[in-house]
Amino acid sequence: MAKQKKPLFLSVAALLALLFLPLCVDMYIQTVVNKLLINIIIVLGLNFITGLTGQMNLGTAGIWALGAYTYGIFTTDLGWNGWIAMIILILLGIAVGRSLGYPSLRLGGFYLSLTTIGFSEIVRLLITNITWLTGGVIGLNYIPKLDLPFYKFKGHGDYYYLLLFFTVVAVLIAHKIVNSKWGRAFKSIRDNAEASEACGIKVSTLKIQAFTLASLYACLAGGLYAGMVVYINPTTFTIPQAQNYIAMLMIGGIGSVPGNILGATLVTVLPELLRSLGDYYWLVFCSLCLTMAVLVPDGLYPLIKKALAPVSGLWGRRSKA
Amino acid sequence: MQNILQVLVAGLAIGFIYSLVATEYTLIYNATGLVNFAHEAFIVLGAYLFGGTFVMLLPERSLVSILCTLAAMALFGVLVSKTIFNPLRNMTFATYAMFGTMMLSRILTEIIRLAWGPIPFAVKGFLRGSVHIGSVVIARANVYIIIVAVAVVVALQLFFKMTKTGKAMRCVAQNKDAAALMGINVSKNINVTVALSSMICAIVGILITPLFNVSLAMATSTALKGFCAGVVGGFGSYPGAIVGGILIGLLEQIGILFFPAVYKDVVAFAVMILFLLVRPGGIVQARKS
Repeated sequence: MAKQKKPLFLSVAALLALLFLPLCVDMYIQTVVNKLLINIIIVLGLNFITGLTGQMNLGTAGIWALGAYTYGIFTTDLGWNGWIAMIILILLGIAVGRSLGYPSLRLGGFYLSLTTIGFSEIVRLLITNITWLTGGVIGLNYIPKLDLPFYKFKGHGDYYYLLLFFTVVAVLIAHKIVNSKWGRAFKSIRDNAEASEACGIKVSTLKIQAFTLASLYACLAGGLYAGMVVYINPTTFTIPQAQNYIAMLMIGGIGSVPGNILGATLVTVLPELLRSLGDYYWLVFCSLCLTMAVLVPDGLYPLIKKALAPVSGLWGRRSKA
Repeated sequence: MQNILQVLVAGLAIGFIYSLVATEYTLIYNATGLVNFAHEAFIVLGAYLFGGTFVMLLPERSLVSILCTLAAMALFGVLVSKTIFNPLRNMTFATYAMFGTMMLSRILTEIIRLAWGPIPFAVKGFLRGSVHIGSVVIARANVYIIIVAVAVVVALQLFFKMTKTGKAMRCVAQNKDAAALMGINVSKNINVTVALSSMICAIVGILITPLFNVSLAMATSTALKGFCAGVVGGFGSYPGAIVGGILIGLLEQIGILFFPAVYKDVVAFAVMILFLLVRPGGIVQARKS
């Protein structure tokens, strides 16, 4: 089918909105948007293992913590350049992904979620107690941002552009992978692992690859996060936070990149919007999540796609399943 | 010598708590195939109902308060089973159901916070103090925990073997279609199972009140280690739950003698990961899920 061009003005409008955002919003909204970009990167990574491949991964907080703390230790204690720390994070992500991938070969479903919970809790307990390296509960402070050779970032407003750049790159890579043969192989494992094996897909290799992709995304997001908040401590990287990421994945739309972005946006922004409800906002938010989990388990994005189908000609979507 | 006996008793006591937690989620898993990630909230709810409501309303902290808590939790279990567990157990992918129970846990915790307030409190005089056995001083709470836990385990086995409902539960756990063909109302039976499991959660909640004080996060580590205990013992089997719980409880307390106490929580997870990699069937080599 021929690909129709999206109306030009829509893309230009979106681009302008993204580029000029820091000039129009106050510091609070800017912080929320920055946090949202980091959440998008993490959820895109989680999508590979839990969304496409169907292996429940609750260790995201632990991997994220490893990324943030490694970046923090390398840039503060050792004083290395932020970009070299990011390269180390890539290596760390690959290492963690492979080591978490191997248990996933022998375990499935509930056992794997327990193992990832165990991994995340061990990471958190080690970070809290190895004080000479990580600062313990006091945490790491004065973490420098990823500065460009010609420009030093001064705060949330300009750091937003670096985060936007990384997010766009992450989205493009994720989009390419999800819609490729590799992505379809991941999806086949979730649907029926034995059938995929019978078709010649190496399930074990793919599972490890999925975990590695998820770890890479989470570690890099950890490094960006450490630079953004300047101060990190172990209380951020808990199991409920990992459950938040699963929520973003499930609510937005499992498996599709726009769904992930939608889910991350909803779960990050909705609690802030619901604050007007006072003491009850968290309860309302969680009840909404549970209702959606029971009624719309595949996420909101497939529903939206179906609802917009009659007008899809306007948006110029490519015809694909 | 005194040290070792105290460590053993403490280990046994907390081990039995983990066994009870493992038993209650095994109950739900065998009946519905769901893993109840919300059991932490059930335990906290039981503790709050006991310490927050019934102890305040009734003149003394007697058996009546405990029985009222159990009855309330049983009703709550039936409600949750009808509204949430029944739709969740028919989901296409296991990850969806796990996510549903995680959200249920958060909602329950929020309701507890809104109903009783976020400030932790203690139930005065409940199972405080110590018992002297010869020259050894043991916390009274530990002794009661062991006695009650053993009683619950024995009662559960008797229930399964002797009563019609218990036998029906075993049938539903083995094969739901065959059980339905035999005339067993599977949904109703699952409701009863969840009610029973909630009652056990309430017992766990009441028992850990002297150990942890009544607060929103009192059962977080207990619940997680209960999962570990069940997996280590043999996931899906009741003897496995007991064996696994006692093993982890004892290892935890013995571990304090050898390395810094802050790493106590790591023991349970490390043992579980070891068992998962080396012997996934657990100690009693139960059938895998």
